[in-house]
Amino acid sequence: MSIDIFKKAGLFVVLVLAQALVCNHIHLFGYATPLIYVYFVLLFRREYPHWAVLVWSFLLGLVIDIYSNTPGVGAASMTFLGMVQPYLLIPFLPRDTEGDFQPSIRTLGLNKFLWYTILLVFLYCLIFFSLEAFSFFNWQEWLLTMLASTLLTVLLIIVIANLKI
Amino acid sequence: MRNLLDFLAKHHHWFVFLLLETVSLVLLFRYNSYQSSVWFSSANVVAGKVYEVDAALNSFLSMRQLNTQLTERNLVLEREVDRLSRLLVDKTQDSALVSGMRLAALQGMKLIPAKVVSNELNSINNLMTIDKGLADGVRKDMGVACGNGVVGIVYLVSDHYSVVIPLLSAQSHVSCAIKDRGYFGYLRWDGKATDIAYVDDIPRHAKFKLGTDVVTSGFSSMFPPGILVGKILHVFNSPDGLSYRLQIRLSTDFGNLRDVCVIDDSVMKERLELLRVAEDSMAIGKE
Repeated sequence: MSIDIFKKAGLFVVLVLAQALVCNHIHLFGYATPLIYVYFVLLFRREYPHWAVLVWSFLLGLVIDIYSNTPGVGAASMTFLGMVQPYLLIPFLPRDTEGDFQPSIRTLGLNKFLWYTILLVFLYCLIFFSLEAFSFFNWQEWLLTMLASTLLTVLLIIVIANLKI
Repeated sequence: MRNLLDFLAKHHHWFVFLLLETVSLVLLFRYNSYQSSVWFSSANVVAGKVYEVDAALNSFLSMRQLNTQLTERNLVLEREVDRLSRLLVDKTQDSALVSGMRLAALQGMKLIPAKVVSNELNSINNLMTIDKGLADGVRKDMGVACGNGVVGIVYLVSDHYSVVIPLLSAQSHVSCAIKDRGYFGYLRWDGKATDIAYVDDIPRHAKFKLGTDVVTSGFSSMFPPGILVGKILHVFNSPDGLSYRLQIRLSTDFGNLRDVCVIDDSVMKERLELLRVAEDSMAIGKE
């Protein structure tokens, strides 16, 4: 149990550093920004206490905000993602699985994992960029940013997930 | 109670979610200037609406006290208006200004303001004296009215005073009509109450309501049409049963009459005569 927490903490730190030092400076074509820290939330297993998911997500969002200079935006979006992740994992589970389940490319299969990732990342980017812009003034830019970031993030997450095995 | 606690225990993550989400939103709206400004402007609208409703409720609940205050104020203001208009009449001698404000029917008339110097109400043939005479343009048979209605007709004129036969006299017979209906009759006083008079000879087919105004009909040359005489109080059958007799409450208070105006429409008469002559001469000229 405590090993799990340490592992999570380790992943937490790695993702934060990667995001803050590397990915925050990537703006492909001026629109796409990879948000790889979302990977952290994807990995929560089925039986993990909901409140703990929420707390982890909130803290991650908070720390990312500190580095990205967007107070509250990441925290709000991450908390929301933490809320929905346990529920959104269930449709992707293979039939007849009871008890604990750790989502990964190996256990879900690439196809399912891909769609699972796309769904969650899309949701996250939707909330994140909406909160950040907070107006529909330049909705084309908002849409483009959202979609491009989703794409790039999903790509990078799949890469990381593959490595992780 | 147990069920409630069980429910809370089962879904405790919702509360955690709410808590954390609220914290993040607070951070969001506090430290980002754009979001902060949006929050403040919309929060202002919401708060403004709430305060508006609250103020409306409060003002409604404090109506009673406001009403008493307003009534008192009304009385004070009415007395003030009375005092000021009397002052105005004294200062400018232009009661056309003051009476004109009240007697709309007298627009275009020349009004000679006068004060009542002697009055009597207790005999069958009462007479009234006013302080204007020949020198001020008053002539016999001119009508006299006050702010509230008809007063009487000038009977005798000397240089500086005139005697008026008021409505409260057996000899008074002002022609009046029911407002907007046109049915007319002569106003007579029966010598009893000082605010009641009677109009006879209203035809039985006349339709009118109690409380309708009775005004001068304009059939006599003494008063222009439309000056208020009183309100219909009651309808009786005439002694011979062939017509109605209206009981009128007179609008003029003869008890405290002080300011009156003598209606001088000799100017009007002269202008009308001139106009008629002009039209006739043009008609002749065309032939």
